[in-house]
Amino acid sequence: MENKKIKKINFVYLLGYIFGPVILCAICFTLGMFICPDGGTMAVVLFMCPPLLSMVWWICAGRFLFKRKKKALEKELDEQGFSRNQTFYGDGCMVVIDTNKGNMALLFFWNPFEKQIFPVSRIEKAWVDDGRSGAGFLEGSSRVSFLFKVDGITVRVNTFTSNQRWRMDTDYILTGISKADMMVKVIEDAKKKVK
Amino acid sequence: MGLFKKIGSIFHDDWCRKCQTKMEEKKRQLYMLPMTVGHYSSHSDANYYKKNLIKVNKKADIPVGKYACGIIKYKCPKCGYKITKLSIFLPVREQEKYEDSIYFENGELDDFIRESERA
Repeated sequence: MENKKIKKINFVYLLGYIFGPVILCAICFTLGMFICPDGGTMAVVLFMCPPLLSMVWWICAGRFLFKRKKKALEKELDEQGFSRNQTFYGDGCMVVIDTNKGNMALLFFWNPFEKQIFPVSRIEKAWVDDGRSGAGFLEGSSRVSFLFKVDGITVRVNTFTSNQRWRMDTDYILTGISKADMMVKVIEDAKKKVK
Repeated sequence: MGLFKKIGSIFHDDWCRKCQTKMEEKKRQLYMLPMTVGHYSSHSDANYYKKNLIKVNKKADIPVGKYACGIIKYKCPKCGYKITKLSIFLPVREQEKYEDSIYFENGELDDFIRESERA
């Protein structure tokens, strides 16, 4: 069981993810200018491939890596005897709760190399944010999430996100609220069980 | 007039499908369907509901994130046609998210409803 603080972002990974391809492009462009100043196939490869690969990296690599790490975490938890009673796959965070032993496992999108397992007793509080804003007929939400505070650090897990605002009685919002309510209830029940 | 009634019956669950008369509600009961939010799958087999439905007295008894199933038995006072309607919805705080409606016309759930009535 880990006693260290929750780390949502691995800054080395984040910076590497953003600037890695930029550095690669800079190196390839410099090499292209020195090695083949008159053009040719090599120049095309050095000038065209790095930007294309960078785009592919920025769009796909994070999701691909997170997906693989999620599967690896599930396998590892099963091997450790962690009962996966409730699992929630958020876009930026995966939450797994063992209600029998009162443990929680977290995996963050921006910190995919570190699995974080801790007792739910460390959770100070858990609540739902339905994202309600606006008044009258403009009232709605574009994000529903559940949040919990561990050692003073607030973790937000989205159950619904959209680039537009939806009325509070739409199916999307109601489903998001239901998922968030359920997760908060599971966390609270697990906490009660441990006590 | 008959045609208008037939079209109207499409939009009214409680209208007889044979003679388009307003049917009488014979029985109404709420159940919990042990499926978690986001994992709903529709079933048309009555045996599935017989095995899985759990009787509850009120909506508040249904755990958060679980589906509810309201069973209503209708009988036509004119032609005697019977139908059982299952309304599946997700209770979310004070609201309901409609999911599905399933109909049984041959009394497939009658014995189950009788048994749960006694329980």
